[in-house]
Amino acid sequence: MMLIAGTIPNKDLPLTLGEVRSDGELLIADGQRIPCTQGTGAMISAALTTTEYLNLEAPRVLVAGDTGQGKGSREIYRYLIDNIAELSPEVLALHYCLPDMALTRQLCQAAGKCAKRPLLIADAASMYAAKAAGLAPEFDIFTPDAAEIAFLADAEATHPAYINRHLFETNIARTPGLVSAAYRNNGAAHLLLVKGATDYIINDGDIMATVTEPDVPVMEAIGGTGDTITGLVTAFTFAGLEPHRAATIAARANRMAGELARPTPATRVSEIIARFPAVFRNYLCQWSGVCPT
Amino acid sequence: MAFMKRRQKTAFEGGGLVLFSEVTDAMRAEKALSKAGYTLKLVAPPPHLRKGCDLALEINLVEKPGIERVLEERDVNYVSVTPLKAGTSRLLEFATVTDFGKWVMVKSANMKLTFDKETGTIVNTSGGGCPDIPFLHSELIDKPLNRAPRPRDIGFTLCALMLDNALDESITIYQGEKEP
Repeated sequence: MMLIAGTIPNKDLPLTLGEVRSDGELLIADGQRIPCTQGTGAMISAALTTTEYLNLEAPRVLVAGDTGQGKGSREIYRYLIDNIAELSPEVLALHYCLPDMALTRQLCQAAGKCAKRPLLIADAASMYAAKAAGLAPEFDIFTPDAAEIAFLADAEATHPAYINRHLFETNIARTPGLVSAAYRNNGAAHLLLVKGATDYIINDGDIMATVTEPDVPVMEAIGGTGDTITGLVTAFTFAGLEPHRAATIAARANRMAGELARPTPATRVSEIIARFPAVFRNYLCQWSGVCPT
Repeated sequence: MAFMKRRQKTAFEGGGLVLFSEVTDAMRAEKALSKAGYTLKLVAPPPHLRKGCDLALEINLVEKPGIERVLEERDVNYVSVTPLKAGTSRLLEFATVTDFGKWVMVKSANMKLTFDKETGTIVNTSGGGCPDIPFLHSELIDKPLNRAPRPRDIGFTLCALMLDNALDESITIYQGEKEP
């Protein structure tokens, strides 16, 4: 089972666990409607599009409404802490949640009690909490962008708002230096996919691959295009790819979908997600050897 | 879901402190913030952060903007909200700008806001990871820069504060006070 956990910007959404399916522009889980917009919704949509194409079991999602006050986030953490051993997902991806270091620590301990430890992926503020609590090495995959790799590299920062200014101003070409600092300071997961003008795929400090093409700079402005990469990585690891191959193919597929959408900075992420099936049809089997059954 | 289990009390690791000059202010702040639903703990501040009062509130630093708003609304005096870790850099108040021709993207820490140069309409926000960010994304998009709700007023987290910085810088650029 692949389990994706994160908040949805709808205060009235209760804690919901269920297999997800698409219904037009919405996602449905346990009868609850989830918008496919920036954040966890975009990530789930990308993962679901991938599993649908590959005829794999659909993602299960654990979501709750939260517009910033943290109530839904804490419900998610606590449910996972209490139930992760029983759920025992093969892949667990944590996304938009109010960062809570103590609850993240408890969750890592609980994940260790699974019959088989899940592959742990974190992005967004779940990644911030893992790094701030000194738990980054417990995770298998982080997917930071250029500002976030500076945060992972800053030993003292507990949020990207507090990164050292000279790290923030660092050019993407200096990403390898920041990556080294992140590993040295225990701020990195085993595998990093650093999203930027050049995407870097790094495993335990070694650069495994870089992806630069197609180059679609406006994607940085489009809310949710980082979330879709995380959704793709999650689905590809669930499909059985090694993390570094899953990350490399996710970076390429996301760029290719962006190019197909001919985006402007005003484009919505749903228009990018809609291109994934075409990208998969044209390239996935050739890139990965993972083909629909 | 009716399947939540009984659990042990969670230890708190907030990473931030609210500092006070008077003990009574610290007590009032604890009451106001607890009532507003924040998780916090009364602690003795470390010597390097002591501002004349032997009590401080440990808070989740990420919630700094929401906590400051509650304290201001309830007229509770406080000295500052600060990271607990010695050596932490100052809060970033610096933005970078990317010119996309018809649009400008302004980036502050992990947050980005993009607007149409001609109309001043916000066309996208991206980055960040706190739960108020997808909410703010939907609240800001398609709004004119100068009539959009302020993330610092309706958001709760440091991500919202960084988005507010980006909005501030965008307004300055749009009003012609600074070249993109």
